[in-house]
Amino acid sequence: MNNQVERRSHTINRFLDGSIAIDSIDEFEKMLDIFPRNPAFHKAFADLLARERSFDAAVDEYREAAGLFIDVGMTLQAIASKISEWRIAGPSHHEGPAFHSALREGISGDIPVHNFFAKMSYPEIAAVIDGMVQIRLPAGKRVKKFYDAENDINFIVSGALNKRTYHHSGKEEEIRKISNTDMTEDDFFGDIYPFEEEKRSRSDIDTVTRVELVKISKPRLMSICGEHPDVELLLEEMYKAQSESGKESSSRMVRKTVRYEVPTKIKIRSFTDRDGSKNPLVIEGITRNMSLGGACIVMGARYLTGPSANMVGRNVNIQISVPEAEEALNVLGTIVWSNEVSDEERTTVVVGVEFKDMTVLDRERLKKYCYGSNEADNLIFNLWESLMKA
Amino acid sequence: MGKNDKVSGNPGAKVWAVGGGKGGVGKSTVSIFLAFWLARMGKRTILMDVDLGGANLHTLLGIKSPPRTINDFITKKYSALENICINTETENLRLISGASEILSLANLQFAQKTKIIQNISLLDADYIVLDLGAGTSFNVLDFFLAADKKIAVLTPQPTSIQNTYAFVRNAVYRKLSRLSSRDPSLHALIKTSIDTKNELKMQTVKELFQFIQELRGEDVAESLRKEIEEIRPEMITNMVREPRDKNAGRIIQLVAEKYLMVHCADMGGVDYDRYVYTATSGMVALTRLDQSSDALACTYEIAMKLLS
Repeated sequence: MNNQVERRSHTINRFLDGSIAIDSIDEFEKMLDIFPRNPAFHKAFADLLARERSFDAAVDEYREAAGLFIDVGMTLQAIASKISEWRIAGPSHHEGPAFHSALREGISGDIPVHNFFAKMSYPEIAAVIDGMVQIRLPAGKRVKKFYDAENDINFIVSGALNKRTYHHSGKEEEIRKISNTDMTEDDFFGDIYPFEEEKRSRSDIDTVTRVELVKISKPRLMSICGEHPDVELLLEEMYKAQSESGKESSSRMVRKTVRYEVPTKIKIRSFTDRDGSKNPLVIEGITRNMSLGGACIVMGARYLTGPSANMVGRNVNIQISVPEAEEALNVLGTIVWSNEVSDEERTTVVVGVEFKDMTVLDRERLKKYCYGSNEADNLIFNLWESLMKA
Repeated sequence: MGKNDKVSGNPGAKVWAVGGGKGGVGKSTVSIFLAFWLARMGKRTILMDVDLGGANLHTLLGIKSPPRTINDFITKKYSALENICINTETENLRLISGASEILSLANLQFAQKTKIIQNISLLDADYIVLDLGAGTSFNVLDFFLAADKKIAVLTPQPTSIQNTYAFVRNAVYRKLSRLSSRDPSLHALIKTSIDTKNELKMQTVKELFQFIQELRGEDVAESLRKEIEEIRPEMITNMVREPRDKNAGRIIQLVAEKYLMVHCADMGGVDYDRYVYTATSGMVALTRLDQSSDALACTYEIAMKLLS
């Protein structure tokens, strides 16, 4: 098994912060067995299938991803998946309205971008989606330069960008930096409203990670608003909500945590040799998501043993701290993929572990933890761990 | 809960109920500060101590022995709540003390509770702030649900967050239970779902509504859903010592949205302020706190948000 894993590990590429991209369809199918309800995996798989020109299969995966994104309240990401799907095969008469209805039903919270889309009628959203263009950019790319004309509105589907906003006095030497903010998924940028004003960017905007955007041009949006006046009202409402919630930086952190399922504190004992005779390396981490079959784990800062690919194939013992359990659960597993995620400050390693063995009792406890009757308390506990604990 | 249970019959008077699951989180302090600011803004305000098992609001206002209490109303010594209001040091702010030596008052009978609720609507005020007791007894929940603003106070501790979530959850099920009281089969289904280990595996309100929709149709489910949407509790995190502590309210917001289909509003935090402790220990009225007090400043912002 380990040999197979090692061989397969060579096919693993890195992309997207925390998610994985694999350039083999077999590998993806294996990952999807472990994480069957992760919409980002399904979307990434669909992208790969589309690149491989397996268009029918890609359509199915985009559709699956869109449905799963709606289930977890990720409206914009669902729309992006649908755009990809409908670029390959346009929607049938009933499919478009069905998606629109699911989108409206799945809306939750007070995210301005979600409200913008979810409040539209079907003809309105169809016109907007039709005018949208998908853009994927690598980390470190300048998306908008100070004083560029504001010609389009960009919605962030995934990834993070940095926005440096300047006050411009009119003389170039008197440009003064006034703020520096991060933007993540579900934010938007592009100051195009009110339409009659010809605006120039007050910011430099750069990608921090790999980023996916969907954008629509100002002329196209103006034309849509001419035909569907309510879209303009929604646009106005979205800009207003953005300016009112501009100070709420902590909400993004919260949102992101919930979307990636609940984090759980774990300790990994990694055996560097095959028979486990040497002292293991002990690393702490947090699960990004977890099921009875495996977990995606973000390693703690103390992991520093060289290229992350070296970890693939290692046998590990994982201690999972489950609330209300007196002792941590003990699970044996194998690291089946790893990925390095970098931001400006540090590099983090994310690994995928396939669970191999655990006691019947631990399996029951893990099952209860993952799917049990105390989900709300577990979520509170985990949000506490990630948002509030020092 | 029927429309008749609405506390505020007087169209001008708004009722704010301050509750939360756990004792010692500062419900009374927050109630006083909110009432204080309302009064300072020129609103005729009545602060009412509904913590009938452990009333001490009068003490926090520097009143050692209130001349009239809610007990006098229950025992019919006074026929209206208006008659037992006492003035405080703060202009526009009056108090209805809950102090009582009658232990059974903590377990108010249904008729007594109804009498209080109906009489609140007759009070001559712009705002009535109810300081509810700890816990999730039906009496506490009914006062909470009947108010115009349903405020839950918590502290940035896991136990407090869990208790506050339980408080909101119990409020939701209490409302559903009362709404279905004349429909035995629906009532039984809702009662079953309260225990998350129920045999039908309904662990969330969303799952309960799916069951209701299947069994009783979309209209019944939709009407209950709308009633639950109206609860909209407002979260205030008290005793905030560092910025991340303010996330406590957001945790309730996220969990309640996911599991209860309830939209909580996060009203923000009240900074920990040692002067509150000093004033309480020294039996000094909290309304005498210097207005540079951090806690008082935070509650001003919250009061403004609640008013908007």
